[in-house]
Amino acid sequence: MEEYAYITPLLASAFYLIASVRLFDLHRRTDERPELLLALYFALSGLFYLGYNIPSLFQFDAWPPLVGIAIEWVYNLGVFPYLFFIRSVFRSDDAWAGWLVGVCSMLLLAGGLMLTAAGSVDYSLSNPWFIVQWIGYTTPCAWMCWEAMLARHGAQKRARLGLSQPLVVNRYLLLALFGGFQVLACLSDLSLANDISSTQAVSTISNVLVGGTEIASVAVLWLAFLPPRFYRRWIDGRAALRSAPAEEG
Amino acid sequence: MAAALFDIAAERLGESSQMDRLAARGTLRLALKQAGLDANHLTIPQLRTVFEKLMPKQLEARGVTNPAASCKTAMAAVERMASKTEWVAADSPDEIFKRLGGN
Repeated sequence: MEEYAYITPLLASAFYLIASVRLFDLHRRTDERPELLLALYFALSGLFYLGYNIPSLFQFDAWPPLVGIAIEWVYNLGVFPYLFFIRSVFRSDDAWAGWLVGVCSMLLLAGGLMLTAAGSVDYSLSNPWFIVQWIGYTTPCAWMCWEAMLARHGAQKRARLGLSQPLVVNRYLLLALFGGFQVLACLSDLSLANDISSTQAVSTISNVLVGGTEIASVAVLWLAFLPPRFYRRWIDGRAALRSAPAEEG
Repeated sequence: MAAALFDIAAERLGESSQMDRLAARGTLRLALKQAGLDANHLTIPQLRTVFEKLMPKQLEARGVTNPAASCKTAMAAVERMASKTEWVAADSPDEIFKRLGGN
């Protein structure tokens, strides 16, 4: 099973890159910042997963240390636009959100710089800079989950008054789920780090955790950014059914 | 700009319903909360919906006589002011999320 562990991250990589192309195209048409920030996040995440899994795909041991560090920086850099996206969409007026972005950025920079200074990627739990970096990239995922859930709560109320669309309400839920699955993916990073610290090999549990959370993340993003017609109809139909008794009453 | 819209709406609501400034602002805030709206990112169509669908009940609960007429008067005054001002609504999360999915 381990030899196929790269398949789900590669699928995730492909989907993230597709989503980023779609969002870059949207930004080209609208010239708005949120789509650009999200496009950058998905592009860099997609490139990270691709780079990270190329050794498994082409069956060589590992990248030279400097390439490994560069790939790690690609992911770290991708988290910055994600942080700015969450802040600018949900908390543009709140000073504390700016501080949170600042703290996460510092953690990512500190972790990344110490990793670079060490000269190789060390995912073990005994490496405190891995933990610093981990907190830096896990916090935005949890933040996205929380903000999208709050936004969904408000949007549900607006939808009852006809001020928000059912698809938009559902999209908040999907992005909250994406944030939640990404938190689980980050927790599976700790499981990987534990494996590497203790046995120098990745366990089946870690592989299943990583693969499962990535598949789930891709599924919700697909419904959020490229919703198929049947899904749109289902969401609209469900909303119409809910509002019908209220209108009759 | 949207916060100014809230201020104007609360002021007009106070005038039309004979409530004092604090009571009018509090009532409007409650109605906005009930509608899932943010006072800082309020738009005219959202305000109109609140004044039509939620505010009459809020005013009735506060003992205002003829709440529907009070809401109508207040909203008409807000719209008259709005027509003289260039309102620029900030990009709301709803608008952004609508664009992201292509609908």
